[in-house]
Amino acid sequence: MRIVVAEDLFLLRNGMVQLVEAFGHTVVAAVESGPATLEALLEHRPDVAIVDVRLPPTFSDEGLQAALAARRAVPGLPVLILSQHVEQLYARELLADGHGGIGYQLKDRVLDAEQFLDALTRVAGGGTALDPTVVSKLLARPTRADPLAALTERERSVLELMAEGLSNAAIAGRLFLSEGAISKYTTTIFAKLGVVTDDDTNRRVRAVLAYLEATGRSEQ
Amino acid sequence: MRIPPRGGPLRWCAEVGLGLYRSVVLVGLTCVVPLVAVPVGIGGARLAGSWTAGLDAPLAVRMLATLGEGLAVAFWIAAALFIVYPLTSRALARAARRCAAEWLEVRHEVHYRSVPPVTRMATGAWWDGEEYHKTEREARRRAAVHARFHDPQLHWDGLWAVVASVTVLPVSALPLLALGLGIYLAVTPALLGYGIALIVAGLLAAPFAWRILRPVATRLLGPVPRTRLSRRVEELEAIRADLTQAQAAELERIERGLHDGAQARMVAMGMSMGAAEQLVDSNPDAAKAVLAEARATSATALAELRTLVRGINPPVLAERGLVDAVQALALDAAVVVDVLTRVPSRPERPVESAVYFAVAELLANVAKHAEAERVTVELSYATRTLTATVEDDGVGGADPAAGSGLSGIERRVHAFGGRLEIDSPAGGPTRITVAVPCELS
Repeated sequence: MRIVVAEDLFLLRNGMVQLVEAFGHTVVAAVESGPATLEALLEHRPDVAIVDVRLPPTFSDEGLQAALAARRAVPGLPVLILSQHVEQLYARELLADGHGGIGYQLKDRVLDAEQFLDALTRVAGGGTALDPTVVSKLLARPTRADPLAALTERERSVLELMAEGLSNAAIAGRLFLSEGAISKYTTTIFAKLGVVTDDDTNRRVRAVLAYLEATGRSEQ
Repeated sequence: MRIPPRGGPLRWCAEVGLGLYRSVVLVGLTCVVPLVAVPVGIGGARLAGSWTAGLDAPLAVRMLATLGEGLAVAFWIAAALFIVYPLTSRALARAARRCAAEWLEVRHEVHYRSVPPVTRMATGAWWDGEEYHKTEREARRRAAVHARFHDPQLHWDGLWAVVASVTVLPVSALPLLALGLGIYLAVTPALLGYGIALIVAGLLAAPFAWRILRPVATRLLGPVPRTRLSRRVEELEAIRADLTQAQAAELERIERGLHDGAQARMVAMGMSMGAAEQLVDSNPDAAKAVLAEARATSATALAELRTLVRGINPPVLAERGLVDAVQALALDAAVVVDVLTRVPSRPERPVESAVYFAVAELLANVAKHAEAERVTVELSYATRTLTATVEDDGVGGADPAAGSGLSGIERRVHAFGGRLEIDSPAGGPTRITVAVPCELS
């Protein structure tokens, strides 16, 4: 895969570059500031980008803004956002366009190389890779018109893992069920949340989105 | 006395009656100074006039003598007042303050000096804060006298007594004088018309004359200007003490968090790494297990650091500012929270942080005590004041005295010259407002 890495800390940037190169991918650009990130994303159109939230010059959420801007220009451009902390608010903003190809994880996850690469591949494939902490927060939210009320306990746990971006096979592995059972569950979940598209990856993202939509936005 | 709500003859009668009563009270409260000054002045003038009666001298000399007499009389009046005012003005000013508060809603917070405690010295003498005395009783007596008569507030009340006697007294006495003179004239047959006219004028003036109290009371019945400043200094000192305490506690918390958490885990990780180094050749499997353990430790350390950082300065606040940080809070809350914001740009950082933590605390309170279903957080900025309102439909009865963290919020907000308003009747709904003056960036 062709990868862009945006991270301001030299050690971490180097570490990530070495990590993905060790797995046989190519890093087309390694940048360390917000504007440079946006430029690199639009210029290289990588298969997936790894972007830190907090970047110079302002050290606010430059990385996140650059990723969002790039995805507005190139819908569905796969981006894996890394941060020292995960926020529901950012997750919602990233998911809002409904194109998938979004990852949002704690930097700690990089420590587990295999999981990290797995997330990277999922995002590059147009799926989602949300951090479990953010997913549990997203789904723990009290809701007005609770679409989860319609879901059983088991369906709910399937939805949580789906939101993390796991495939049916992986979910089956986590829950010690057969893959067939999981696909049954996913079908009922899609039905209950009223998600209708053919593309499976997209459908999985939309299921999570449908849930988020139903939780109601705070008015601005 | 109840005033009938709408106009009409009954209301007029009530107003007139009330006005007359209030005039009488004010005359009573302000007549002490003239009651002393006028007799002393008249008697003194007679006495001094007798010194130079029948003086046959050039005009210039007579004028000098008259001037001297005038000065002597003025001195006597001043001396008489100097004796009378410390004894009377405190009580009179207090009564006038009560009247101003009840009739005109003019309220003043005034503090008189309190009697300091006396202490026994090693020499056996008693110290009253000013000087030594032989006995405790004497020291106490002197301390009480000193506190009472050397009180700046008492001198300020004396000034009120003097000024009121030439402003409040004549004006509020007008309707009474007109009535009295009118009645006196009315019983004199030839002047009946004048009498009735004067009575009517007095009655018409009655509802208004006593209101002279407002401007004078507003300016002179309050605390001494100098003590107003020193009160503010005391307040600020208390705030500063609070802040330094809070800061020290915060630093200690951070230090302890780092020391017991991340630092200790780093040490453990270093040890694990060392062990892995030893084992890597002889027993690779064990080395792997140790390394896995080290990685788990590092994950825990990171999680601890994250929690610590969130307590110091939440990352969302640093990255996005108050509005989005409050949105994030709302998303993470255990109840449904609506956020309404009308803040055009970011406030000053310290204020932002204070308001954020206040809102966080309030939302935590709602989750803990209110049993609410809906919460609304409103942020707005107007007239250079940032206001955050948290409203819930819970059980109400929020009380800062109940140790719900509200007093802590109040202190923190006070430090910025802000205020905390709590409206929480039992049974709800609760509405708590935090308002802090600040500039927007």
